[in-house]
Amino acid sequence: MNKPVLFDIGWNACINCGACVAVCPQPEPFISDFDTIAVNTVCDIACMVCEAICPVTTITHRDATAAEIEVAPLMQKNNAKSKI
Amino acid sequence: MSENTLYDLIIIGSGPAGATVARLAANRGLQVLLLDKKQELGAPIQCSGAVSRHGLEEVGIRPDAEFILEPIYGFGIYNEKGDKKTIDYRRLAPEKYGGSADKSPLGYVVDRRRFDRHLMTLAERAGAETYLKTEGLGYRPQPDGTCEVDVRRFNEKMTLRCKVLVGADGLQSVVGKWAGLRTQIRLTELASCLQFIVDKVETEGLLEIITGHEWAPGGYAWVFPKGHGYAEIGLGVIPTVTELNAREQLDKFIKQSFFGDRFKNARILEIQGGGVPLAAPLKTQYADNLVLVGDAARHVNPITGGGIHTALSGGKIAADFLVEQINSGGAFKKADLKGYQDNWLEKLGNKMWKLYDEKTEIFKTEDLEERNRKLYKIMSDYFSPDSEYKKI
Repeated sequence: MNKPVLFDIGWNACINCGACVAVCPQPEPFISDFDTIAVNTVCDIACMVCEAICPVTTITHRDATAAEIEVAPLMQKNNAKSKI
Repeated sequence: MSENTLYDLIIIGSGPAGATVARLAANRGLQVLLLDKKQELGAPIQCSGAVSRHGLEEVGIRPDAEFILEPIYGFGIYNEKGDKKTIDYRRLAPEKYGGSADKSPLGYVVDRRRFDRHLMTLAERAGAETYLKTEGLGYRPQPDGTCEVDVRRFNEKMTLRCKVLVGADGLQSVVGKWAGLRTQIRLTELASCLQFIVDKVETEGLLEIITGHEWAPGGYAWVFPKGHGYAEIGLGVIPTVTELNAREQLDKFIKQSFFGDRFKNARILEIQGGGVPLAAPLKTQYADNLVLVGDAARHVNPITGGGIHTALSGGKIAADFLVEQINSGGAFKKADLKGYQDNWLEKLGNKMWKLYDEKTEIFKTEDLEERNRKLYKIMSDYFSPDSEYKKI
């Protein structure tokens, strides 16, 4: 199982193409206010396909801290495995 | 938009598919609410904008100067070395195709901002209620056979009611996820696309398609006329078969390909990108009180990535089915809506599945030269006048 992560988007390069959301396997909508993948929510799947699909490679990630994982709403209801 | 109204259809997403369902259903007397969260339809542009004239006409859309950027008369298909097969209908059928008033183009490159706005206008004029800046938040089928839809418009939350919710919210569909449908696309089947609108690149009324692993691994590159003397240079790549991202790959194509001389004075005017599925249609495109159309149902040609024509056709199939279902007093549980997908498969989907199988076979070919040859052949065949897939 991958370690949960938080994504970061370099907004200067983002062209708002939506590919990261289209390829995201999260069973619930996992979207930021700018129609990218969520940047303020822990991702427990951490498959990184959003990083791979980005035409301008502007998505990065870091490991989520224990405190961030504890409050992450997705972690509590989502037992989904990556379907990649 | 009223919480007291029981709408026949609420449609989330006013792109080509959603606006077509809305227009055709409203034309036939249904009470329709068409919503989109954007403030300006079609933007940001995630699409090259090519659509056949036939695709417009079969759903009753008259080609209109409001949205047409340039008429198209055929195709130029290139292999990786630059060998070209030209399929120009001005030469193949000069009595029918051409730029004079008594002849027609084969298709158009449209401005998606103007095109999508035009389609919403047609839906509104047909009697649909239309709202922008209105986002869908969720839906709940009810015991009485209808469903509730939560929306937010300019920060105000409302709960609306309808018989059927139509998810036309694109590739990133959240409506499908609400219903638990598996809408996610595999990384190996989503082309990462980037295109530049450029000045100072000549075109000649053809959609030019450049195949070859060297230029667009897993996909293809294109040069389309964009009106006003502009052109569109773009490509889609499958990230799992290339180290370069789409931007780097496009840079390489512009500077290093056999078009280097043609592109040397190109000036970039706009940058656009998107994910284009080269994938199979969704296996299940319906749920209780819900159907999906357009990109949300993955009604996209898996060889070309073209999705406007297929969205329009699929929108008509959905509207025809839903009008009949509602007017005949039918129910709206999952089993009752299966007929929509059956109709779609019969009219369009089965051929798309066949195309998908052919595409999968090509990209399974390990020998790159052989793969290049197969891709060039299928593209050339696909756009030929005698192609069995002509209207897909």
